[in-house]
Amino acid sequence: MSSSGAGPAIQTTGLTKTYAGVDALSDLTLTVERGALYGFLGPNGAGKTTTIRLLMGFIKPTRGSSRMFERDTWTDGVRARSQVGYLVQAESLFPELTGADQLAFAATLSDSKAPLQARLLDALELSQTALDRKLKTYSKGMRQKLALIAATQHDPELLILDEPTDGLDPLIQRAFEAHLLDRHAAGRTIFMSSHDLGEVDRLCQRVAIVRDGKLVQEDSIDGLRAQHRRRADVVFAHPLGDRIAIPGAEVLQRDGQTLSLLVDLDPNPFLAFLAQWQIESVTIAPPSLNDIFAGFYQSEPSNR
Amino acid sequence: MKAILTLFVQLLRRSRGGLIAMTIGLFAFEFIQPVAIDAFGNLDQLIAIMDLIPKPFLALMNVTPEVVEEVGLPGFLALGFTHPVYHLLVSAIVIWIAARGLAGEMESGQVQVSMARPVSRPQFYLARVLAVVLVSLWVAVIAVLGNIVGIFFSQPDGGMNNWHFVAQGGTSMLLALTIGGVALLVSARADRMGQAVGWAAAFLIISYVIDYFATLWSVLEPLQPFSIFNYYDPPTALAHGTIPITNVIVLGAVSIVCGIAGMLIFERRDLPN
Repeated sequence: MSSSGAGPAIQTTGLTKTYAGVDALSDLTLTVERGALYGFLGPNGAGKTTTIRLLMGFIKPTRGSSRMFERDTWTDGVRARSQVGYLVQAESLFPELTGADQLAFAATLSDSKAPLQARLLDALELSQTALDRKLKTYSKGMRQKLALIAATQHDPELLILDEPTDGLDPLIQRAFEAHLLDRHAAGRTIFMSSHDLGEVDRLCQRVAIVRDGKLVQEDSIDGLRAQHRRRADVVFAHPLGDRIAIPGAEVLQRDGQTLSLLVDLDPNPFLAFLAQWQIESVTIAPPSLNDIFAGFYQSEPSNR
Repeated sequence: MKAILTLFVQLLRRSRGGLIAMTIGLFAFEFIQPVAIDAFGNLDQLIAIMDLIPKPFLALMNVTPEVVEEVGLPGFLALGFTHPVYHLLVSAIVIWIAARGLAGEMESGQVQVSMARPVSRPQFYLARVLAVVLVSLWVAVIAVLGNIVGIFFSQPDGGMNNWHFVAQGGTSMLLALTIGGVALLVSARADRMGQAVGWAAAFLIISYVIDYFATLWSVLEPLQPFSIFNYYDPPTALAHGTIPITNVIVLGAVSIVCGIAGMLIFERRDLPN
């Protein structure tokens, strides 16, 4: 499958969607370069699904525009979607059809021979016997597997995945993550939203964080980490007096000789302070995506 | 065209159970008509019974004793195509297929399975139009077939030109297409299947009530041209083998206009969550 044009995989400009006077998404300007593995994060109601629905041409933007491979997703949606694999909600699959019929239907509409189907069936452990059964007999996890295969079997240039591993057991989740990394290595673009921040941390290079329909941060994961304080756990050889001020850090917890702290972006004042004391152990860890994500939502309370 | 056919076949495959069940009901209803006529003995006895039936009750079936007396067996058979049960069965089948394919898929989110692919909204909609056209043809054929098989088995009194069933099939299909056009229009606008079925049923009930009361109450007569049932004339089709051209034009125009309006609405609307 070849992609047309030379532009980014996804580009939104001032993308806005309003429902009954309320902005579900406001002025989103975002670029996802080709070949990126991109995480799109935010709590429920932040505007993630609205953004994805706008990209897929399911809804019309109130203002602004969105493009995939330089095609407008509303006015030129058929060509924009011709290189896309989109993960539909597993509950939306047709219960009256067998798994095999469902995959054949998806492949026919994508005008593809589904080159990755056999590999995906194997990786996600979906048997031929299961494929011959109607979807109404499937468990939630099996439906999710089938939805993932239907979205990715034609090896699209761009994958748009909303909560891809929801309902999967950890082993299958890792198998699908390996598939995504393989497709990324093959040059495909992956745009995914997930509540599993560990998964995003393991897979994605860049993330965008939305809140209340607005983009609040967009950076590489390393860049985000560099902007956030590291967590330190220090065990002193002797109890530290309660009144001793610790420069360059915020104390989270103080328990006798043990302190948990958040170290400022410039660690030197804190390290200079530690050098004055006898220390049993020190652990300084980079902030997890979970910490960073929580920081965005705790620092400024939502207006909505 | 490949996408339209794929979507069309897939909708019919998913709907075949319901379609078969409802068409069996329609076939059985039309089969019973000549058998019931035969059970009365000769047509004169039946005409005598009809003379006793109150006018409001006969108006429900849109066939007068005078017409029946004049044309004989075709007039009685026409009762099977104007009976409220016939309208109920045909409307249920056509509205169901249109509402299930559009509003039903929007309600369940199934529309996204197709629309996530390189498929345009008009292609998706045209697959539903094709399904409505095929189902309209299907119900017309099944209803007429039920009548023909019933006549074959019961051999009721009176003569009937079998070619006139072609005209009856045509007029039945025209009415079904009109109902289907209205159902597609409201389904394109609705978010839920129940909503679409409700709107389409309301349209049909109002249309039927206008047609019914206009024959009983002269004040409502000016409204009769606004009812689609005013342009549905089985007695003429079965007795003379013709469909008045006005009926073809009006029902054809309503179905086409509703079909096109539905497509324009569906093309521009947001798909519900």
